[in-house]
Amino acid sequence: MRSNFSLKIEVPAKIFMLRPLGFFVRSLIEQLTDNCDASEVIDRVELAFSEAFTNICRHAYGVTREGPAIIEIKASDDQLTFVFTDFGQGFNPENVAPPNLDEPREGGLGLWLMKQVMDEYTYQSEPDGRNVLTLKKNITRSRAASSEKT
Amino acid sequence: MQVQATNGVTVISMDERFDATVAQKLKDTVKSLAERAQTKLVIDLSHTRFIDSSGCGALVASLRVLMKNKGDMKIAGPSAQARSLFQLTRLNRVFEIYDTLPEALKSFAS
Repeated sequence: MRSNFSLKIEVPAKIFMLRPLGFFVRSLIEQLTDNCDASEVIDRVELAFSEAFTNICRHAYGVTREGPAIIEIKASDDQLTFVFTDFGQGFNPENVAPPNLDEPREGGLGLWLMKQVMDEYTYQSEPDGRNVLTLKKNITRSRAASSEKT
Repeated sequence: MQVQATNGVTVISMDERFDATVAQKLKDTVKSLAERAQTKLVIDLSHTRFIDSSGCGALVASLRVLMKNKGDMKIAGPSAQARSLFQLTRLNRVFEIYDTLPEALKSFAS
């Protein structure tokens, strides 16, 4: 595995893709992170990924439209970056109020959770119709993944 | 997801991932169960490695529909990831959580 790498996949933005993607992402992060402090980081990144993809399926395309989600995963020495691109309905995260945790609801936690567990969250609706969500997490890379040469 | 009855208590055992893939199925199942008043339900998370906000939402909805019909719901065996998420979202104050399924079942007897 390269010390720094990126991959990009395009999948249908359908909930049935969530499970295989979740397993894939978790396996990938386990390979990349340092085993010393990995488990909480892995859990948090897996959670953010699940929230992001679920939101695209539910909100970007809704029930009447179909469309793709392009997922880029980039790993550098000290950071994991996920970039989700969809071509559906965009939104303004500034207009989404944080949840009132004292009044539990059935939904509305996804965006807030992504911001809680990741180190950076940005969302941009581009003029060409792309909606781009970028999530970043600082990590400690495993020595094996960092040093292995291709 | 597996559903079984033990001494008047229904146990729903969730599998490894509790996310949007299965959240609706749980809600539908619990809604059917809740039609019988005073349903006692344990959601067994001892095989669940991962839960997200869809899973949490399904648990909230399930508790709500049960309580509306004078039933009750408890949670058993959450993983460290689940406990961490419940704490972050303060759902640990909403759900009655037990370390193991036997403890959760026993709580209905007392």
